[in-house]
Amino acid sequence: MTTNGSAPGQANGAARRALDGVKVLDLTWFGAGPIGTRSIANLGARVIRVETQRRPDGLRIAPPRPAGNASLNVGGYFNNFNAEKQSITIDLTTDRGHELGLELVRWADVFMTNMTARAVRQIGMTWDAVHAANPAIVALYQPMQGMTGPHAEYAGFGAVLSAVCGVNALSGFERNPPIGVGTNYPDYVVNPMHAVIALLAALRHRRRTGEGQLIDMSQLESSVAALSGPVFAWDNARVDYRREGNRVPYAAPHGAFRCADTPARPDRWLVLACLDDAQWEHCARACARPEWSSDPRFATLAERKRHEDALETLIAAWAAEQDGAEALARLQAAGVPAGLVLNASEVLADEHLRARGYFVYLDHAEAGRRAYDGSGFRLSKTPVELRRAAPLIGEHTWEIATEVLGLSGDEIGMLIAEQVLY
Amino acid sequence: MHRTLQSAVPVMPGPLSDVRVVEACGPIGHYAGRLLADLGADVIKVEPPAGDPARRYAPFLPGVEAPENGLQFILLNANKRGVVLDLERAQERAVFLRLVASADVLLDSWEPHESARIGVTEEALLAARPDLIRTSVTGWGLSGPYADWAYADIVAQAMSGVMTLAGFPDGPPEQIADHQGHRTASINATAGTVAALLHRDATGEGQRVEVSAQEALSMAQETAMMFADINGTNRERTGGTGGLAVRIPGVGLYQTNDGWVYTLAAGTAGSGFQGVLATMDVLGYECDLRDEPWAGFIAESMNRSLLLQAMADPAEAAALAAKLEHIGATVADFFLRYSKRELYEVGQAQRLLIGMVSAPPDISVSPQLNARDWFVEIHDPGRGRLLRYPGPPWQLHGTPATLRRPAPLLGEHTAEVLAEIGVGAGEASAPTPHGSPR
Repeated sequence: MTTNGSAPGQANGAARRALDGVKVLDLTWFGAGPIGTRSIANLGARVIRVETQRRPDGLRIAPPRPAGNASLNVGGYFNNFNAEKQSITIDLTTDRGHELGLELVRWADVFMTNMTARAVRQIGMTWDAVHAANPAIVALYQPMQGMTGPHAEYAGFGAVLSAVCGVNALSGFERNPPIGVGTNYPDYVVNPMHAVIALLAALRHRRRTGEGQLIDMSQLESSVAALSGPVFAWDNARVDYRREGNRVPYAAPHGAFRCADTPARPDRWLVLACLDDAQWEHCARACARPEWSSDPRFATLAERKRHEDALETLIAAWAAEQDGAEALARLQAAGVPAGLVLNASEVLADEHLRARGYFVYLDHAEAGRRAYDGSGFRLSKTPVELRRAAPLIGEHTWEIATEVLGLSGDEIGMLIAEQVLY
Repeated sequence: MHRTLQSAVPVMPGPLSDVRVVEACGPIGHYAGRLLADLGADVIKVEPPAGDPARRYAPFLPGVEAPENGLQFILLNANKRGVVLDLERAQERAVFLRLVASADVLLDSWEPHESARIGVTEEALLAARPDLIRTSVTGWGLSGPYADWAYADIVAQAMSGVMTLAGFPDGPPEQIADHQGHRTASINATAGTVAALLHRDATGEGQRVEVSAQEALSMAQETAMMFADINGTNRERTGGTGGLAVRIPGVGLYQTNDGWVYTLAAGTAGSGFQGVLATMDVLGYECDLRDEPWAGFIAESMNRSLLLQAMADPAEAAALAAKLEHIGATVADFFLRYSKRELYEVGQAQRLLIGMVSAPPDISVSPQLNARDWFVEIHDPGRGRLLRYPGPPWQLHGTPATLRRPAPLLGEHTAEVLAEIGVGAGEASAPTPHGSPR
């Protein structure tokens, strides 16, 4: 067992967690849903994920996976997002499977799904059905565009949502097509963790009043809420947003600058930001370019913004001769916000993240010992922990069918044969 | 979100309406305070006499004087009350501690050396409020070799591994717009704070919530960390091609007659490439893709994973490339003849996974967002404006989020808040809005 977010030696699976005793029925898949319920599991809730062999989560099939291994249980994409959950396989589209699903609804305090409205109907888990089975449940539905409105049935993955919510139109450089940011960005923190906030808040209300509630969470609304600056500026001041790459309106220099290639690390980029005049002076000193701070073109933020092209040209020429790590150390020693554009191997090896124990290594029956993201927040007394690796598909079918659903061995055998528990 | 300022609808209490938060945060934590306030908390923002630095961040609200015109500040600090205290002065630090004593949560963004320097230590805070939930939102967290490093949003984006994935191979790595280091740190801080409130409700015990922006963003590396861990390979920026040498028709970004759309027409979800054909039919676009040999090829082979498999064989790849070129050119010509919104709406009606690339003016008039009354207008008397705010990230039917007040003017609520804790207004510094920010 490995802990995250607590001092070494603390916890080890023994500490009380904030959501101990909370029961969650997890009908999520892909990214935006499962990361949210994982966070809830890492807070101590028992999260039961219902899956089916007939239509497994696409992430169980997606790469990365060990070469030549087609198992549904070894994909890193799925496993990282599902640590500590339990998995039962039920085909909810069968009559008996649907009854068992509703039995889990009655068992649960919290229900969450990010399926499309169409898929929710196919498995019979609409709000009406869920609420009728358990009036006190907290249920969060997270379709792409919410449960009402003319686009309620619209579907897409994070890449489609990124286009619609503004990620593409707001990021990158005006001279290039709006390709987005290389990932399905809203899926991984914005939408799942916004969902966690809503679930926790609704649980608090439920503990105080006994009342459950429906949470209608549009991934579009959640994503625009996290990118709200430009639309707010348009609506209230008609500010016509220009894509400016790595610049921001209130700091200069502010960008990424290429350092000298080394054989070990070509394509090394340094980022730095000077948010005020003092940081700019420190920057000039750290770069051993005192003439920069006496140059009237760069004397104030307004002047630096006016001459930003010239400013960036000078810094780029300086950076091209620097070793990235040395330049970073000098800038940070001078108090200038700076960093290196790390790739994933470097992130895994980053001495700071390692010292903090951010990544957690967990043993998995098929995938072996693998890295998992830790929690994006830490709690000092009720640690957020990853106590188990991701479940194999259906790993807990027997346990849940007997303990939670109260089925006998014979019944379970029959339901497996009938491909209900499947 | 209820329009409480202009509607007579009775307001249901928010799930945090009994919670008081003191926010002493730089821009990294503004969104956290805003989310807690939207859920009903009484958030008291403490600013230095010169004001929060974000008050001076462009763009600005025209016709309003500094320091009340910074749009980013106005956006992310609505729903809060504002107090000025100069924490560099011992007397006002004492007032600050009294304010903390009245609060359930302290949200701050002090790095360890900064807390020590101004003398707002953990001991002093816990003496003031033993069951305090203290939420620290910083770039690097409170421990580890970089804990006292300088931080800016772009730095977290770089050091979390997210930025390396964005951009073109022959250009720089690119940041994600609108401060996603700040945003994800704030979102995580809010989640941690509500979790800590649940524990305090049950046990009476407060605790420390800690967020590092570098860590908060890490999950947004998507599969990159897992590729490195499992396969020892690093994903890099590909210019939107996903690293594929051949473009699969109907997948990715396409130009329209007024902008761009993004489609995923070759997977297992949605209607796939048949959805493109159906969209063509509805819009009356004529082409030869319904005829042989194209129709048969499309029915059999236009699936991303099948195509990728086939292209792995060099002999097959050349023949395939010729077919894909014709289909791709036809698709590109089709999209170029229509507007992004009609392609989006007609395509989605055919279950095609398609999205329009929306800029702020498109989002502002989105039929979906407006049908759901998502935007909220409130009057801001201090700035003399009716302001239109984007809504909250969720609709909680039992305990809705509310927008109850505009962003505070500098020091607007100092006297009011100090009176509530039995302190005379003379105990606090006057605002110095025209002094230079620290």
